[in-house]
Amino acid sequence: MRNRVLFPAALVLLLLAALAIHLFVGRNAPPAAEVMAALLNGEAESYDQSVVLFQRLPRALMAIYAGAMTAAAGCVLQGLVRNPLASPSTLGINSGATLAVIFGVFLLDIRIETQGLAALAGACGGFLACLAVARLAGRRNDPRGLSLILSGALVSMLLVGATNALLLSDPMRRAEFLGWVSGNINHVYIDRLSAFWWIGALCLLTLGMLSRALTLILLGREKALSAGVNVTAVSMASLTAAVLGAGSAVAICGPIGFIGLVVPHLVRPLAGANISLALPCCILSGAVLCLFADLGARELFHPYVLHTGLVLDLLGGLAFAIIVKRFYLSPDMREQL
Amino acid sequence: MSSLTLSNITASYGKTPVVTGVSAAFAAGRLTVLAGPNGCGKSTLLRTIMGFLPDIRGDVSLDGQPVTKIGRRMLARRIAYLAQESSCPDYMTLGELVELGGYARYSLMGGPSDRDRQLFREALETVGLADKAHLPVNTLSGGQRQRAWIAMVLAQDTDIVLMDEPVNHLDVKYQYAVLSLVRALVRNHCKTVIMVLHDLNLAAAFADDIILMKAGRILASGPVPSTVTSENVARVFDLEAEVFPREGRLVFLPRLPSSEAASP
Repeated sequence: MRNRVLFPAALVLLLLAALAIHLFVGRNAPPAAEVMAALLNGEAESYDQSVVLFQRLPRALMAIYAGAMTAAAGCVLQGLVRNPLASPSTLGINSGATLAVIFGVFLLDIRIETQGLAALAGACGGFLACLAVARLAGRRNDPRGLSLILSGALVSMLLVGATNALLLSDPMRRAEFLGWVSGNINHVYIDRLSAFWWIGALCLLTLGMLSRALTLILLGREKALSAGVNVTAVSMASLTAAVLGAGSAVAICGPIGFIGLVVPHLVRPLAGANISLALPCCILSGAVLCLFADLGARELFHPYVLHTGLVLDLLGGLAFAIIVKRFYLSPDMREQL
Repeated sequence: MSSLTLSNITASYGKTPVVTGVSAAFAAGRLTVLAGPNGCGKSTLLRTIMGFLPDIRGDVSLDGQPVTKIGRRMLARRIAYLAQESSCPDYMTLGELVELGGYARYSLMGGPSDRDRQLFREALETVGLADKAHLPVNTLSGGQRQRAWIAMVLAQDTDIVLMDEPVNHLDVKYQYAVLSLVRALVRNHCKTVIMVLHDLNLAAAFADDIILMKAGRILASGPVPSTVTSENVARVFDLEAEVFPREGRLVFLPRLPSSEAASP
């Protein structure tokens, strides 16, 4: 019971701290007074203030958005798919959205607003392709969703391959999108955030309203039905919200991997399985983790700025190995398989 | 007070029919036990009432209204169901589990009311777990876990309760305690309980009515004293047994072949 208040409150404080560090600290950081002035006025009167308003703040907001959406999607997907490895990056959602955007830009020459729609459609397409492959492989006999994860890996490989082929086809544009494709939180994409943030807000609102029903679905389909949950409708609505939310994050800063996979595992021991509590905690933790990863990408190899996506991929690979070891290779789980 | 009627139910998993042409009426305020050999369709019958099976023919109606026409939420306010096996995700506490039992009464944004919370406390006290609400369900013992699921069903606060072998994992003390509790709910709160039980002695001690099933059909049904007879038991279980009254209830004693009896 204590965790219900303390843990989310601690996360809110942590998020504020991360945001403050992101804005105020670092090499080449503007003086604190300039940062405050820029934030309070909302207008840039000096070079330092414009760095805050047009570089640091946009980067922070994008990191918060991408982290929050990806973690929320991971939290919901792991519950619905019943597999600890489910996340936007393992179920074809990120790679689908990426391919759709690159396809649209390279072959159809679409503009930014349409790129957002393309990302959403691609996210849905990637996930559906993953479901279709899993069904071919016999999803019905697979209560733990393992075939879905494997088909997610297959579909992702195919989609990433197609994306790379498109990128290679046009050397002029390649440079422009190479960063985005590997997950790049960069202030130049801020107009994408201002164009698509409402999609994420709607998705989070939907998931929040369904959180209690989603928790009941964790107890099994029949338990949820008997407790009064319309399982099919709730699953469809929350899957759609999770996929669109993750897709909108890709539309803004490219595929940010592994936050969706890792954060729910970090949060669950402290927040519990109850999605009404775990979901907000995942959203906050995802934002915090992504802010810190972005901070690392910006500061660690100064004067070079890394892609946040790469930093998270490195962290995520490690976490992936730990999760596989814990859930698939631990002695008591082996007996159950 | 609700009355539940089944007429001419046929249910199947894939192509094999598991329940064939079953009709029954469950009177309000009575405890009915479904008994019969393994695989005779008892659990399937409960799951049919809940509408879990894709392939069902016949009608299940609640106060004359087909249950398929009642939405899940409304149905959950009237019928609760306890499955034979339940599993709880790690880290979920007993308190959270019981609170989920009230889901059908909550509004989209709201949570449990004060009355709901009172009900949850009572449910936990009834199953003897009032001091365990803060513990994760998966750290409880097998018997405590089973009582936790019963508390969740009680928290749903419905007129009709379906239970599939509710005392399966319990030691003999809690078998009697849980069934006495169910008995009290029927008597004091006028609930209708339909329960799958394997143990005919427990059935005879606690049930008002019994339905004996074999191979997907009802072989005998009615009040316990007139239905649990040596002949019916022999027909249903292919087992010779003595049935005799003792201290106001029927006792069922299977006969052993003399060579296999344990030496005293």
